[in-house]
Amino acid sequence: MKTRTAPAAALSAAVLALPACGDAGESGGPVTLEFQSLSDQPAAIEATESIVASWNEANPDVQVEIVPAGWEGIHDKLITQFNGGAAPDIIHYEAAELVPFARDGYLADLSEHMSEDARADIPDGVQDAVTVDGEVIAYPTELQSYVVFANRGMLEDAGVEVPDGDTMTWQELREAAADTTTGDQHGLGWGLSSPTAAFMSMAPAFGGDFFEGTGADADLAVGEGEMALPELVGTMAHEDGSILPVTLTQDGAETLAPFYSEEIAMTVQGSFQAANIAADAPDDLDWVVLPPLEGPAGPAQTANPQTLSVDVDSEHVEESAEFLEYFTSTENLAELNEADSLIPATESAREAMGASLGGDETWETLLESGEHLESSPFLFVDGYAQWKETVATPAYQRFLAQEIDADELRDELESGWEQTTE
Amino acid sequence: MRHLVRPAQYAALACYIVFLGFPLLWLLSASVKSSVELNSLTVSLLPSEWSWDNYTRALARQGLLRSMWNSAVVALSTTALVILTALPASYVLARIKGAVRVAGVGWILISQVFPVILVILPLFLVLRTLGLTDSLLGLVLVHTTYTLPFALWMLQGYVSAVPVALEEAAEVDGAGRPAVLRLIVLPLLAPGVAATAMFAFVSSWNEFFFALVLLQSPENYTLPITLKMFIGGEGKVALGPLAAGSVLAAIPSIVFFSLMQRKLASGLMAGAVKG
Repeated sequence: MKTRTAPAAALSAAVLALPACGDAGESGGPVTLEFQSLSDQPAAIEATESIVASWNEANPDVQVEIVPAGWEGIHDKLITQFNGGAAPDIIHYEAAELVPFARDGYLADLSEHMSEDARADIPDGVQDAVTVDGEVIAYPTELQSYVVFANRGMLEDAGVEVPDGDTMTWQELREAAADTTTGDQHGLGWGLSSPTAAFMSMAPAFGGDFFEGTGADADLAVGEGEMALPELVGTMAHEDGSILPVTLTQDGAETLAPFYSEEIAMTVQGSFQAANIAADAPDDLDWVVLPPLEGPAGPAQTANPQTLSVDVDSEHVEESAEFLEYFTSTENLAELNEADSLIPATESAREAMGASLGGDETWETLLESGEHLESSPFLFVDGYAQWKETVATPAYQRFLAQEIDADELRDELESGWEQTTE
Repeated sequence: MRHLVRPAQYAALACYIVFLGFPLLWLLSASVKSSVELNSLTVSLLPSEWSWDNYTRALARQGLLRSMWNSAVVALSTTALVILTALPASYVLARIKGAVRVAGVGWILISQVFPVILVILPLFLVLRTLGLTDSLLGLVLVHTTYTLPFALWMLQGYVSAVPVALEEAAEVDGAGRPAVLRLIVLPLLAPGVAATAMFAFVSSWNEFFFALVLLQSPENYTLPITLKMFIGGEGKVALGPLAAGSVLAAIPSIVFFSLMQRKLASGLMAGAVKG
């Protein structure tokens, strides 16, 4: 296993001490880097603090100060911070939201600072998600994928063999959902109150990529690949009757309640829900994570990693990048992702996490699902956020509620894009 | 038929109280339920098993008590500044006539039109120049500025309701202008001041956006910022601790309202002026 170790990073940090000393000499004290962290789980907050503490201990001349912030409203806060010249040195966020800031020139180009080891450790699809116009704008840290959690007992009672291959097809999911649907019991629950993210993320499995081009020149085309998943969900919900209808109006967390009470046999969720299910599911619920879903074009999903970037106006871009090298070293990233129940963005951390979890079946499957994440054009399209909120989400909701048919959905998505970009 | 009126009134009042109180009861209930029960389909106001773990977790995390203190400082300071500024201004606005009044009222109405997202950046730059970003004083000034127009509008309505004849009668009795204001007008405005103070306090106590953008250091965070941090990325919500934190956050507001509601007595002027 190739490992980017903390000692290696500490060594580079020692080298870093030279320029840092220069800065310190000018100001009469150590360099202090502000690190705006969005970690929200107690264990992840603890892991972040632990990593920073170990860095600070090894690097007395470059001290990192954590500034905790919340996800709620962070976009507006960052806009003001960047425009007001008050952004922290190191910024925690996610790739999809970060790209517009990079295009506006607020993020430092880390291409020259990212070590070759670090770059080689990041899968191409994930690396692409943090590369804008040839510039590396962030270190990716954590990932999530969409997976199916299943009640093993309910599947077996319905005569459905629990899939255990490398992948399972959407058709297999549909059949399993239909087979486990009886009376008041439904085969599947899927919290699709905000369906766009799920449909966009899973469209690559059907060959759907929605956008061609990047920035302001991107074009939207909704063809078979883009329509396949919404149509499949519509069919399962309204023809097969195998999706619990109310879950289509709920968010993912709300859909866990019927899963716990065995009203549904399976549920599609973000992989991070594994920790919540482990904590909150009844003791006698025998649940399992099914293999990654595969469509006609493979098991690919869109990667939207959490990221760490550096403010372009920071006086300490180099020191910040060195800290990020340390923060994303194998053992640190494995520790952080385990605490956050997410999937590491580097190969070595994924392997380390798999090894430390000692063959845990659930985690093995979740980590495997991270193998199929790739970049997607929508990350780099101007106007995507506005189109998503004002056009796509309402249109998908109306489609799932059978207020419009597939042709009307396609028209609404395309004409809405034209209006958004006029 | 007449004997049914009183029970019907009580029934209507009971419905109203339940309507208003139910969300708070549900919040209380959620704050003492375990994570497992909160994620079950069983709907029950009373928890199957009382758990105080949410309060422990809420208090242990994110500096909840410190942010409650910050919120109290900001909200009380804002309230005091708003009342001190709005009281004399509202008297002038209510009593004078002509172009100044029209301009004053126009300013109040126009100031309510701008969405905060439009003003936040220039405001941030001004405060930064003054060295008041990331400070509670800066936030107090912003909350005061933003609350003042509506507070002024509220108070001038109360001032207008005080008959000029009362002031004239006092002057006829030999009272000077300061005495008229202090002994006649001010006491009659007490309910209006109380209502305006409550409005200013709640506006500041609950305000999220300005605090989010202006405050950078965790030691300065106010309560709405801290409570929002229980809502994580990817739809993760620590529902139990959030409910417990919200219950604790409501206590100072309830105390403030309890103190102020005594001043809300109306009808002080009933019969003050004959005819």
